[in-house]
Amino acid sequence: MRFAMFSLLLAACTDTALPKPTETVCPDPDPGTLTWESFGQQFMADYCTACHDYALSRSQRNGAPVFHDYDTLTGVMYLPEHIDQNAGSGPAAHNSVMPPDRCPTDPGGPLNRDCPKPTDAERMTLSVWLACEVERRKPH
Amino acid sequence: MCELHQPDVRRGRWAPTGWPTAVAALAAWCALQPGVARAEHDMGAMSEAHSGGGSALSAGISIEAARFDNVSYLGSHQGVTPSVSWTSSRFGVAAALGMYHLTKNGLSAYGIGDAMFTGHAAIITAGALDAGVALHMMVPTGSELKGFGMGHAMAMPSAWAAWQIRPVVINASLGYSRALVDLGGAEHNHGPAPLVDPMNMQELTWSGGAEVDAVGRIRIGGRVLGAMPIGTGTDRLIGAGRIAWGTPRLSTSFEVQLGIVGDPFTVRGVVETALRF
Repeated sequence: MRFAMFSLLLAACTDTALPKPTETVCPDPDPGTLTWESFGQQFMADYCTACHDYALSRSQRNGAPVFHDYDTLTGVMYLPEHIDQNAGSGPAAHNSVMPPDRCPTDPGGPLNRDCPKPTDAERMTLSVWLACEVERRKPH
Repeated sequence: MCELHQPDVRRGRWAPTGWPTAVAALAAWCALQPGVARAEHDMGAMSEAHSGGGSALSAGISIEAARFDNVSYLGSHQGVTPSVSWTSSRFGVAAALGMYHLTKNGLSAYGIGDAMFTGHAAIITAGALDAGVALHMMVPTGSELKGFGMGHAMAMPSAWAAWQIRPVVINASLGYSRALVDLGGAEHNHGPAPLVDPMNMQELTWSGGAEVDAVGRIRIGGRVLGAMPIGTGTDRLIGAGRIAWGTPRLSTSFEVQLGIVGDPFTVRGVVETALRF
């Protein structure tokens, strides 16, 4: 009990919302309507690839880590849990760490505009799509 | 480790009455040096954590600059860390909070780091040997997402020893660091973090070094510091060379550190100054 209170006290020292898994699952059976072509690619282009693009050098990424590149489905599926925990929404969490507050107008450029933000519905769709893509890659 | 003051002073043999206490206060402050001791989590590895009687208050400031090039980020950071400490007899406490400018993959940010608190005690103060224990705590005041903080509290108990054979002082430490979270939880098990002071969620730390009196009140020395993860994580090894100048009241040092294993940083320079009241 004391440890729990102590931990809560320490946690209160920071007000940062931490990424959490949304625990979203793909509908069974998978309707197959959410794909890279029908949803993922446009979502990433709208909200992510101004920084998370393989073509950007480290100095152009405005803080985006190397290997966090979402301009291809392969890049996205390298880190589906990470994306879910930072931008997805679902039964267990609503994550809005990403996109950040400021974005470049041009990929790799200065942070000169407010970032467009996905709606809650888009975040939920993102999590469902990621869950389905993960499920589709599992051996059956 | 972070022995800003002269060995004789540190051991309370050099100065007139009252100096040992003051110098020990410097030692306690020294235990909080962000660029040197904190970064390697050997806060307790202080050979001078006792004052020999009386009590003293001291204040210090540390300025550091580093470049890093790891698997995810290329960048640099600069930090300023004020600190205060109080020492009485064999015991001491200290606190510090770093403020940073961080550039990572082209993004610039400012922020505070994790707050640091230390309690330490000298257990053995016989002859040329000093030894003791310390408990260092880090509180998550820094932003984990921006790379300034761990995102959770850390506890770091350690033991230290120092052996003085004039004009040389040899010291070593062994510690254990652990995040105060469920290490088995998938929600929060990051790799080494934060960028300004990377460490594993759980690790063993160690250090060893030596200093020698040079000319006047100047000492030169070197040390190595390492960490081995328990469970998942990354090994870390750092080598450092330093030069220090000190009087019983004011001490200053400069240290250059090289990240050898684990990419904690490429190179880091730390200037520290401490003043006792």
